[in-house]
Amino acid sequence: MQEVCPMNEYIFALLALIAILGAVSVYFKRSPFDKLIGLAVMMGGAIPLIVMKGYIDVAILVAIIMPLTSIFILQATGRNSDDA
Amino acid sequence: MEDTGMIPVYICGIVALYAVLRVLTEKQTLRKLVFLNVMNFAITGLIVLSIPDIMSLFAGIAYFVGSTLESNAIASTYAGGVPNE
Amino acid sequence: MPSMFVNIIIAALTSWILFITVDIIFRLPEKGGVSGAGAIGSAIASDNGSLNGGTMMGNIVCSPDASAGTLLAACGVYVAGLPGGLVATVLVFIGNRICHDPGYAGTTGAFCATLVITGFGLMGIPAEAFIAGMVIAILTIQGLSHPYASHLLTKLWRIRA
Repeated sequence: MQEVCPMNEYIFALLALIAILGAVSVYFKRSPFDKLIGLAVMMGGAIPLIVMKGYIDVAILVAIIMPLTSIFILQATGRNSDDA
Repeated sequence: MEDTGMIPVYICGIVALYAVLRVLTEKQTLRKLVFLNVMNFAITGLIVLSIPDIMSLFAGIAYFVGSTLESNAIASTYAGGVPNE
Repeated sequence: MPSMFVNIIIAALTSWILFITVDIIFRLPEKGGVSGAGAIGSAIASDNGSLNGGTMMGNIVCSPDASAGTLLAACGVYVAGLPGGLVATVLVFIGNRICHDPGYAGTTGAFCATLVITGFGLMGIPAEAFIAGMVIAILTIQGLSHPYASHLLTKLWRIRA
């Protein structure tokens, strides 16, 4: 049973690509909802990288805190920034 | 020797990349959430497949439940309702 | 000994049938369980889609339903066998309670999936094939063509209703 992730290079590159695409989309999209979705894509690429490096407890914390942050942002600004 | 235990990892990775591309090229926000959900399934699979450990199972479940709550909050706020906890 | 690709195809078909059956038994296409699901259903319906199928797809996104239960059960069985699947089922149950979900499609799906995947494991199909198979099944429903998938789900819903 392997301890480290299989096929290091390809999966790392793919996840890094997903994280970069998400971060770029946060910058370019106009609607705040699209920005939150872009942040979710970015974290979707980043969290497996954290797990694969061995920081599983950090990954659990980040995986719980990031959606909570999005929910709080929606509560703070969601009503006023609706986009058609 | 061909290692066939990595085929599920490749499938999850390719599905995640495809879903991310669909998310970024979709105009409607609510349909983006459906593609985002596909990405979350694939990323959860990647988390658990990469480290076969109990703690990574918890990390995967935490990520998946968090992503479901976040998608629900975005969808219901977008529709004008109150974000669910 | 079947190769991994055949295993994954069998696993994908099994999980597709499993989670759609449990979701339809729990009347997911009828109405949105949580408020976000109805919004997604209307958005899919307004673009050549069908409302019942769209509502079910919205429920898949916004609440832990049988698709989430099957995936997490597959992860649990992969990590720790049958006890791992049961642990995943308990966690999905907690997730159902957190989301104020009126139904328990996720917990039922997770429990059935744990039994099914353990059974297939005894026949030689490993649990990681079910993880990849479930990801492929979700891709076919939610990742390819929303109008087509919603019409298909509505047709299956009409058989039950």
